[in-house]
Amino acid sequence: MKFKKTISMIGTHLLLTILAVIWLIPILWLVVTAFSSFPGINTAHFFPTGYSLNNFYRILFQPDSVVQYGAWFKNTLIIAIFTCIISTIFVVMVSYAMSCMRFNGRKGLMSFSLILNMFPGPLLMIAVYFVMKMIGLTNSHVGMIIVYSAGSGLGFLIVKGFMDTIPTSLREAAKIEGASEAAIFIRVVIPLCKPIIVYQIISSFLIPWGDFVLAKLMLNSGISSDFTVAIGLYNMLEKNLIGKNFSAFCAGGLLVSVPIAILFVIMQKCYVAGVTSGAVKG
Amino acid sequence: MKAEKDQKKKINKTTFATALAKGDIWVKLSTVIMGAGYFARKQIVNGILMTAVEIGFILLVVLFGVPSLSKFGTLGDVQMELKFDPLTLQSTINDYDNSFMILLTSVITLFFIFVFIMLWIWNIKLVYRLQLKKQNGEHINTFREDLRALVNDRFHITLLALPTVGVVLMNIIPILVLIAVAFTNYDQKHMPPNSLFTWVGFDNFKNLFTSSMTISFGYAFRKILGWTLLWAVLATVTTFIGGILLAKLINSATTKWPAFWRTLFVIAIAVPQFVTLLLVRNFFSDSGIVNTICANIGLTQVLRGIGLVRVNYIPFLTDPNWAKVMIILINIWVGVPYQMLIATGVLMNIPTDQIESARLDGANKFQIFCKITMPYVLFVQGPALITDFVKNINNFNVIYLLTQDVFITSDQQLAASNAKEVDLLVTWLFRLTNEYYNYKMASVIGIIVFIICAIFTLLSFSRMIAGGREEEYR
Repeated sequence: MKFKKTISMIGTHLLLTILAVIWLIPILWLVVTAFSSFPGINTAHFFPTGYSLNNFYRILFQPDSVVQYGAWFKNTLIIAIFTCIISTIFVVMVSYAMSCMRFNGRKGLMSFSLILNMFPGPLLMIAVYFVMKMIGLTNSHVGMIIVYSAGSGLGFLIVKGFMDTIPTSLREAAKIEGASEAAIFIRVVIPLCKPIIVYQIISSFLIPWGDFVLAKLMLNSGISSDFTVAIGLYNMLEKNLIGKNFSAFCAGGLLVSVPIAILFVIMQKCYVAGVTSGAVKG
Repeated sequence: MKAEKDQKKKINKTTFATALAKGDIWVKLSTVIMGAGYFARKQIVNGILMTAVEIGFILLVVLFGVPSLSKFGTLGDVQMELKFDPLTLQSTINDYDNSFMILLTSVITLFFIFVFIMLWIWNIKLVYRLQLKKQNGEHINTFREDLRALVNDRFHITLLALPTVGVVLMNIIPILVLIAVAFTNYDQKHMPPNSLFTWVGFDNFKNLFTSSMTISFGYAFRKILGWTLLWAVLATVTTFIGGILLAKLINSATTKWPAFWRTLFVIAIAVPQFVTLLLVRNFFSDSGIVNTICANIGLTQVLRGIGLVRVNYIPFLTDPNWAKVMIILINIWVGVPYQMLIATGVLMNIPTDQIESARLDGANKFQIFCKITMPYVLFVQGPALITDFVKNINNFNVIYLLTQDVFITSDQQLAASNAKEVDLLVTWLFRLTNEYYNYKMASVIGIIVFIICAIFTLLSFSRMIAGGREEEYR
């Protein structure tokens, strides 16, 4: 019996190791290529033949007409931070109204927003692009922030699901004490929702940070210093540029991933709680 | 007390018709000057505000809407022309019509007119209610009290105001514009401001379903729709099951350091998709490293021997069938860690007493997994599964980043409608707009995608909203 248990334990760990290797090979390739001394794609060996920090030096301190990594990083950061603030506020406000308040047409509004939310993203972006072009906000940070955050109120389901679990009695008690609805919202409900708000903050930060399609559509000026990291890195790999840019691309990719990786590992628990609190109630 | 409640209910239920019929002179005057009813009940500020809204609206429509609306039927008829002026020896541009601006401003104006009519009806009812209140000698709110209500029992209005404006700007108006474009001939040959476009009725929808010598959209649409649905099913099912199995493996009793293993897989998704996918695409390129390794160990030769490969490399992302398989496999790589995280959360909540009693009854692990774990997970995750399915129909990143600029179609009929075998409907419509400016067909495809998604969404959420299950956990 004990023998059998040991076998199954070794088997489990062997399987996990194999899977982990499969999942980490591309990441490992990203890391080693980022430190490669050869600028193009290494097609003959997995590990580079020589190592150097040149790629990092190049993308950080030697901007040229194609590679403007510093500017991209700054643009992405500004857009992501403002989007994160605005959309978190929007989502929390809508969630409170939908979860804790009862008013005429609430259910209709909820169904309507669910349907609206299902309009295919890339498609909607094309129409949004028309509107932004009319206002003259394409190729600008403000435009990007508006596009990312304005419609974010529709994504209230998960936070609302969490608020639904807060006992009504708490709010009623506060009301008897004479607190206004606004005071209950700010003093009672928001502190109780901290975990889900953290989840919301992180996920609304990650949307503009990792977004590709909208940025591709909106930032079409061709001026490299206007780009976000995603678009910049994509352009670095154009057919005629890939030979001299691939390692630098990996270095850039690594730099943009590190903060997210740290964030992700830390918030694993929060993430699980956030995703499932909506799902369990399904 | 009860009578009072009934009275209140009655007031709240006043219809527009009774309000108009039974209202006094002030209510009737409110149909023209919207603030009138408030002035009569000494709600001066409300009256001024309401009248100001009305005047602002009328000014907006007259100055901004009417010029466009008058051309809405034709979407403009004055083509842009350069005129040479012999006096100043300079060329000037005539006062041309921009079809798109006409369409856009008209849609916005129509939307505002609709909102205004709703506001107008609501206003009449409100004013009539004020009249009833006055007749019954009830208290009528002062402006300050009205403001205070906005942080109290009418707090939802305060909360929802800004997000609603955002949604109108970023979702509703664009959707309306897009629907309108589907009925025009807005494409590369009809690009404002240089040329005009106009209404064509249902022609674009007809084109999407016809395959003939000149139009191949019907053929491309069928092929791409088929692949989109197949992809959505496979991508959803594989990552879902993979996620559950991985979560079971990591959380099983025999596994040491589950948190460590979990973190390893999470690292893979912490790298943004645009980085990993672009990387993987070069990893598997025709002359890429995987091909080198496969050639070295002789795998390429073997595959060539059995006829799976016809060239001297493995066309991972350049042959339609290979590419489809690779896309699904790579998507498993991308999606399983996410599903694993979710499944971990769900599995933690599984009722252990059932599993325990099943074990006592002599069920083995496999039986427990099939008969207890899976049904539970499916029950809990059912709606999320449908949401994932819809998300996969619109999964732009995986397809676009893996195949754009790499995959070139050899199917002439597909190429004629700017499609590729590996395209989803969304990547197809993205290419149609971003590269070929074929807005009319993109809009039609978009509407179709929306209908498909809406059906699935309604299926999944009708249960949740209609059932009133949100109170269950309180």
